[in-house]
Amino acid sequence: MTSRDVHDVLNIPSDHSGVGRPSKKQKSSAIRPNLKGLAREVQNLSGDNPIAIVPEVSFFKKRRLASRKPATKWELKPFTNSARGDDGALVLRHWRRKTEDGPPADVDSQPGENEAEGSSVTKVEKPEDSAFAKFNVHVQIPQYTDDQYHSNLQSSTWTKEETDYLLELAKDYDLRWAIIWDRYDFQPKGASGDFTDGSNALVPAGEPRTMEDLKARYYEISAKMMAVQTPVQYMNRSEFELFEMVQKFDPEQEKRRKQFALNTMARNKDEAREEESLLLEVKRIVARTERFNEERRELYNRLDYPATETDINSFKSSAGLQNLLQTLMTSDKAKKQRKQAMGPGDVASPSSAVPTSAVSETHANRRESIAASAVSNHHRADSDARTPATPAEPTPTSATAPAANKKKGAPQPERRKLTQQEEQIYGVSYHDRLGSGPTFRYEKINKLYSHKSGQQQLRITNVLSELGIPPRLVMPTAQVTAQFELLWTAVTSLVDLRKVNDRLDGEIKIEEAKKAERDKVRGVVVSPATPATNGTGDKEEGGAETNGEGGKDQQKTDQDKKRPGSSGGSSHKRSASVLSSVSDKSAKRQKK
Amino acid sequence: MAPQQGKRLKGTQIFRPFIYGTTALPFHPLHNPKPPGVPDDHTHSWTVFVKGIDDVDTTYWLRRVQFKLHESIPNHVRMVEGEKGKAFVLHETGWGEFEIAIKLYYVPESSEKPQTLYHHLRLHPYGRTEEEKEIMRTTNNGQVISWSYEEQLFNEPYESFYEILTSGALPAVPPKGGKGAKEKLVRSAGGVLERSAMIPLVNRPGQMFSRETEQVEIKKLKEAMIKIEEMARKTKDEVEKKEKRLKELKADSAKG
Repeated sequence: MTSRDVHDVLNIPSDHSGVGRPSKKQKSSAIRPNLKGLAREVQNLSGDNPIAIVPEVSFFKKRRLASRKPATKWELKPFTNSARGDDGALVLRHWRRKTEDGPPADVDSQPGENEAEGSSVTKVEKPEDSAFAKFNVHVQIPQYTDDQYHSNLQSSTWTKEETDYLLELAKDYDLRWAIIWDRYDFQPKGASGDFTDGSNALVPAGEPRTMEDLKARYYEISAKMMAVQTPVQYMNRSEFELFEMVQKFDPEQEKRRKQFALNTMARNKDEAREEESLLLEVKRIVARTERFNEERRELYNRLDYPATETDINSFKSSAGLQNLLQTLMTSDKAKKQRKQAMGPGDVASPSSAVPTSAVSETHANRRESIAASAVSNHHRADSDARTPATPAEPTPTSATAPAANKKKGAPQPERRKLTQQEEQIYGVSYHDRLGSGPTFRYEKINKLYSHKSGQQQLRITNVLSELGIPPRLVMPTAQVTAQFELLWTAVTSLVDLRKVNDRLDGEIKIEEAKKAERDKVRGVVVSPATPATNGTGDKEEGGAETNGEGGKDQQKTDQDKKRPGSSGGSSHKRSASVLSSVSDKSAKRQKK
Repeated sequence: MAPQQGKRLKGTQIFRPFIYGTTALPFHPLHNPKPPGVPDDHTHSWTVFVKGIDDVDTTYWLRRVQFKLHESIPNHVRMVEGEKGKAFVLHETGWGEFEIAIKLYYVPESSEKPQTLYHHLRLHPYGRTEEEKEIMRTTNNGQVISWSYEEQLFNEPYESFYEILTSGALPAVPPKGGKGAKEKLVRSAGGVLERSAMIPLVNRPGQMFSRETEQVEIKKLKEAMIKIEEMARKTKDEVEKKEKRLKELKADSAKG
């Protein structure tokens, strides 16, 4: 039914009533034969528009009957799932299509040789693994040995036990941090074992860790272990990216991010609306400042002034000032002339250029041209006016501008920022204090030696060779030299300590000798029966030696005895030098 | 001297590992026959060299090397110019050991003064013990190897030199002008990138300087450290005891 039919029914004359109808009928008659299986009345209903209802032609599965093959067989097969981790203790069964290859393989193996039988038996016995087992993927948790932990992973806030526990949890829960954090309940061993219940209540069982703490520790360990396993220089790109990512974890930022998300979710409708309006406001302000800046820049551009990179000092003297005035005037004149000569577009301000790298070259060129013009102008001015300014001395602007240009003109790309990997590969490091120039890594160690006296050097090398350290380090890399320096300080302090020890030995010997003397004298007076109370025969011998060395010594000690109060420092010093040979001997004995 | 290339980079240090040393082999009628023209009293042929670790190129920072031999050798100051990809090598024959001064001249871009290293030429097996000497005699086909690992530190290099030292190993991140954009990384047999400061991970025959060796050395130093600490503690105890004793004695003498 079309609009024309309606018109027809209602007897409304249409514009082209005579022409419309027959043509329509023709059209519809042309379409009609296309649609089969539809009542004519129904078709008529559609009128002009193509009919929307398309009769569905349905095919039934006839082919199935055509194939004469027997129905495929299904069998109930046992299977295990290796992902369960119970070594196939649980055997379930499921329906599987019986495979064609299965039975023949068995047939092959049954008449086969004995060695094949063993494997086939196990094959038969072992139910197949579930196809879904392969989806049981474990995360790679960094592994470390005790040694590695001690050398790399020490932390002031984490014990090794707790770290182990964390990694265990990370493995168990496949790095699902929410779960790890939820289950995290570390009980320090000491707290549970040693303390009584009362003290246990006082000492909290491990400090509470936030998720960020856990993550930070975990990432720290993974980064360090990655670096230990493959030095940064040898990582390929993907490894390095992972390494960098892991290393960059910032718990503080993470905390802030979460806090922010929480806040965003917690705000109510009014606040949200306010925020929106504020944001709009901010946008407006930013846009306005941008426009303002643009305008200001334009204004500056209009205020055309020559750029000077020289310092102002040269203009401070009156002669300099005169000079400056001269150049300014000439350049001004030149500019005017030039403006007349060319269009104003070409004389765009030299200082205006936006500091982007793309413009910099043209910028430099422009400046050069200006500098050149300044020079020429200056010369002209000189010849014209014969000013008192010395002609040999060029104006500072003209002299330095070309130099600056040269610097700028050379392809001096912006020094690129090295990535951490590049720094490692190229061996770049940064230090607070450096003497410039080339040196060798080993020089530092040479310096260590040369700062010591000859005797000390000898002692130190003796100690080192005792320890099996070769006289020259095999590989003086940064790490090795750092380690060696540690060792060096330890050895020097040991050597110093030994020196003190030797000195004490000597002093003790003197004191003992003195005592023996005293006792002897006293023994003459009182009783000779009291033997030297001060220990071993070895020491007495030493004392005897000193006595035997000469009468002088004897006299000295006698004198000292007369003034017992003053027998302190002076005699000690002297005797120390006298006894140096003895002390050396004792040192040797000690080494043995 | 090259013109000043910009400024020095404050606080920056770049290092390059390299190896220098000597390899000597006694003359032998079969294995190492004496070439004609060599004086009768010469007993060894030897080689002194400066080369990059894992035989990588060094000529991008090292221009030439001067070897100063013993004065008795004719023409005893030898200059070896760098050839890209090759080590700085000098072959000689002789009969005696002496100290060789090795002077390194850097590329002009560095604007750095030459530096000198000293190396003792070894012709005869050496070592702290007889066994070590024996090992050296029997291994390496009787070659006497005296090689040293060293790291060249460029402290505060000039900008242009810094550019040289920090480029070339990795492909430039923004490919510039298509040239060399798709180059594959050039690695030596030990996995060291050309123009890098890398050290091979493991030892290979003829390349005894690696991370492995480094770790061994660090371990050794750490062990020594522990021993030293132990010794220091003992000595400290002793010193304390002796101080006490001395005090007693002094008090005694003051009394008497």
